[in-house]
Amino acid sequence: MAYTGVTPSARSRGMVREVQHLLFTVAPGATWILIFLVLPGAYLMGVAFMTNGPYGQPQMPLSLESFRRLAGFGFLGWSPGNLYTLLRSLWQTLVSTGLVVIVAYPVAYYITTCKEKWRPILLLLVVVPSWTNQVIRTFGWMNLLAPGTPLSNLAETFGLIAPNMGLYPSNFAVTLGLVYNFLPFMVLPLYSAFEKLDNAQVEAAQDLFASPVRAFWHAVFPQTLPGLLAGIVLVSIPAFGMYVIPELLGGGKGMMLGNLVANQFGGGSNWPLGAAGAILMLIATFIGLFVMRRLGKRLGGGEEVVI
Amino acid sequence: MRKRTLRRGLVGFWWLTLTFLYLPLAVVVLFSFNAANSAATFTGISLRWYRQLLGNEQIVSAFVNSMILAITSSAIALVIGSLIGYGMYRHRHRKLGWLIVLIYLPIVLPDIVFGISEMVFFVRIYDLTGLFRPGLVTMIIAHVTFQIPFVGLIVYSRFVGLDPTLFEAAKDLYAAPVKRVIHFMLPTIKPALISAFFLSFTLSVDDFVISFFTAGPESATLPIYIWGAIKKGVSPEINAIAALMIGAVAIAAFLSLLFSQRRRT
Amino acid sequence: MTITKTTLALSLGGLLLAGSVQAQENKLYIFNWTEYMDPAIIEAFEEKYDVEVVQNYFNSLPEMFAKLNAGGVSQYDIIVPSNYYVPRLIETGLVQKLDKSRLENLDNVMAQFQDPDFDPGAEYTAPYQWGTTGIVYNTETFPDAPKSWSLLFDPKVNPDHPFALMGDGQVSMGGACAYLGYGYDCTDMDGWREAAQLLIETKNRGTFSGFTDGTPALQQLARGVTHVGLSYNGDYLFFKDEDPETFENLDFMIPDEGAEMWVDSMMIPAEAPNLDMAHKFIDFILDAEVGAQLSNYNYYASPNAAAVPYLDEVLTEPPVQPSEDDMARLRFTPSLEGDALQTFQQLWSEVQAR
Repeated sequence: MAYTGVTPSARSRGMVREVQHLLFTVAPGATWILIFLVLPGAYLMGVAFMTNGPYGQPQMPLSLESFRRLAGFGFLGWSPGNLYTLLRSLWQTLVSTGLVVIVAYPVAYYITTCKEKWRPILLLLVVVPSWTNQVIRTFGWMNLLAPGTPLSNLAETFGLIAPNMGLYPSNFAVTLGLVYNFLPFMVLPLYSAFEKLDNAQVEAAQDLFASPVRAFWHAVFPQTLPGLLAGIVLVSIPAFGMYVIPELLGGGKGMMLGNLVANQFGGGSNWPLGAAGAILMLIATFIGLFVMRRLGKRLGGGEEVVI
Repeated sequence: MRKRTLRRGLVGFWWLTLTFLYLPLAVVVLFSFNAANSAATFTGISLRWYRQLLGNEQIVSAFVNSMILAITSSAIALVIGSLIGYGMYRHRHRKLGWLIVLIYLPIVLPDIVFGISEMVFFVRIYDLTGLFRPGLVTMIIAHVTFQIPFVGLIVYSRFVGLDPTLFEAAKDLYAAPVKRVIHFMLPTIKPALISAFFLSFTLSVDDFVISFFTAGPESATLPIYIWGAIKKGVSPEINAIAALMIGAVAIAAFLSLLFSQRRRT
Repeated sequence: MTITKTTLALSLGGLLLAGSVQAQENKLYIFNWTEYMDPAIIEAFEEKYDVEVVQNYFNSLPEMFAKLNAGGVSQYDIIVPSNYYVPRLIETGLVQKLDKSRLENLDNVMAQFQDPDFDPGAEYTAPYQWGTTGIVYNTETFPDAPKSWSLLFDPKVNPDHPFALMGDGQVSMGGACAYLGYGYDCTDMDGWREAAQLLIETKNRGTFSGFTDGTPALQQLARGVTHVGLSYNGDYLFFKDEDPETFENLDFMIPDEGAEMWVDSMMIPAEAPNLDMAHKFIDFILDAEVGAQLSNYNYYASPNAAAVPYLDEVLTEPPVQPSEDDMARLRFTPSLEGDALQTFQQLWSEVQAR
């Protein structure tokens, strides 16, 4: 639009064409997401404000009953079941994300120290297991941790589990499953953070500081923060809403929020309560995203913080 | 000295992590050849579970469903997602905040909320209009919804990486927009399109939760079948299907490696 | 530009069309329990009526009910629920009355199944099979197992072997009620509260391995993952016949405090796509020889009087036909509605969460 001598009408015609172009390219996708995700999501939100019918179908009138139920109030007065579930979800998310970080740092760093032509292969090795289906990966752990397997027997000799039991089903198995599932999601962003790192600076730091730990803490860690934050978002949000892993590895003891929600649409038959749980999950997700974004901005992470 | 021990520790840790990553998969493959129906003891090599698979019509149809779902949804998402990616690039100087939010929505939404929203919605629409009967169609729609953003972002970042003067040159070369698309745009973003399709395909095959909630009586995919089999408690057969899927992934990984190496040189 | 837009619209329309056309082919959709149908019967039916039968399976009634609520009501032609889910299916309008004029074989049904409590006048149901839910345990681990729920609920009787309870909350709760002396079919608040408390304590024992549905519970027992669990008499015999070696050490028992007896019925969902075939199928199962073939295959007792002469001998003795003493202790799982159902759901979700 830089050239001179364009009449105003031609310019506005240009504008119209631009807008047309924008609509043509963006509208199909935007409409698709609006119709098939925003609308259903809004409808689900609406269900949360309906009343649960005698057999678990959403009914009029509108009420806040499902939120009361979610908070634990019901026919029997207050009961802590849902609070347990919520706390368990938070705890599992926290522990598994922490463990993922601890494992991913050395792995990502190791890859950056290798020869450049090897790096894509090593990265691929980390990522490939996550190409198999989630259900299959979890099933693999069911096999590994079942009673009588070497790992379970080992745990039994150390008195970590009851005799004749397996490591699965248990809360421990759920944590392990989560770590396994999400490890690649942390390694990738950390790797790209490490790759950008100035190696000379690291070397200098290693000479400057007394221990490698301090060198890491003062020279390396701050520079990988954007990658770390991105990884935390990628790991903790899906971990918090996880359904498959607690269902298969938890054995009735490891129920998380995702299971609470799913159960209301399955056997539990209380759609409004399930929808209220989904709202809670969404709120947690958006708070998490918001906090990470703010943190990222303050720490100078910039754009790449969210994915 | 210190550096060398550190290095050694790193190498050790790397191998430990690899073991952790591949052990469950290796065990699945190993026990798919187990002669006995046991998760704890390996009694000998046998192909009996694979033979059981061959005669199972449900597994074959689940495989077909998985493929139809993955290919169709990836193809649709490729078209819509590329358009949106290009649109975001062309109009990147405008205020498109709402669009960014919309595009990130499918990515950040927890699977379970995503899946249940779709289910509740489709059931309601079907009640009202008789359209969107739960089945492959609803599954394809749901999958396209979470694939669009990924395709869009990949295509967008490819365009951002291009030299802007290229567009001007193309404009001079090809006057007709259609020709420009065919002779300039598509060839330049081909690598992005290929990797977007590949990613969409993987995402579709990897998904269980969303498929599970949008499926109908005849549209069970392999993951849904496996889930059902786990819930039913028949284990050795699952090992065999899972081993086959792991094999397919290994081949895909190998191919993608070849592809990326070739592009590099 | 517009070309792509129209193609897009067209292909979307095509997808929709494909979705609605799917239903009109000549198919019969059956939603049944796992391992509950002889494939040969399906083949015979397909051949006789030139129809394709599509089978889907569930492992528990809550699962079935949820699927039906989530669109299944217009996807399946036949469902096979148990007695205590029949009233709520009728109340919620998820099923429709049978057209008895199309069911010639209805007279074959035994007298005691012709007017069941859960469906007075049998307006909606035609009986499929009946059976019991009992405790299956490893006889090597428990050589002198008491004939009692204490095998599951008393940590002194089973201190250190893994065990599972039933995934369907009403059955697990009933067991706890029976153990506590309230009777398997208790519905009073005090009984439930105490039973829920017992279940919470039980699931937090180190050896609790999960809430498992009836059929998979047997697989767990067979593989030694658990040593006690809850399952159905017919499934137990079915798998025992398939793998006698493994099941030699597993036994089925009806605890003396009382346990569950159930009747599974064929019903037609309210918006079943293929009403005609659905009735033909029900009538086919009610046929004397087909009914016997079904029982001979899945080892459950037949409610079909005309089928009796064709039944294998194993079907006339325990555990298929419980002994008279056991029979007197068996109860139907209570059918819940309204506040009682809501209260139960709440107690059960509490048990699951803690």
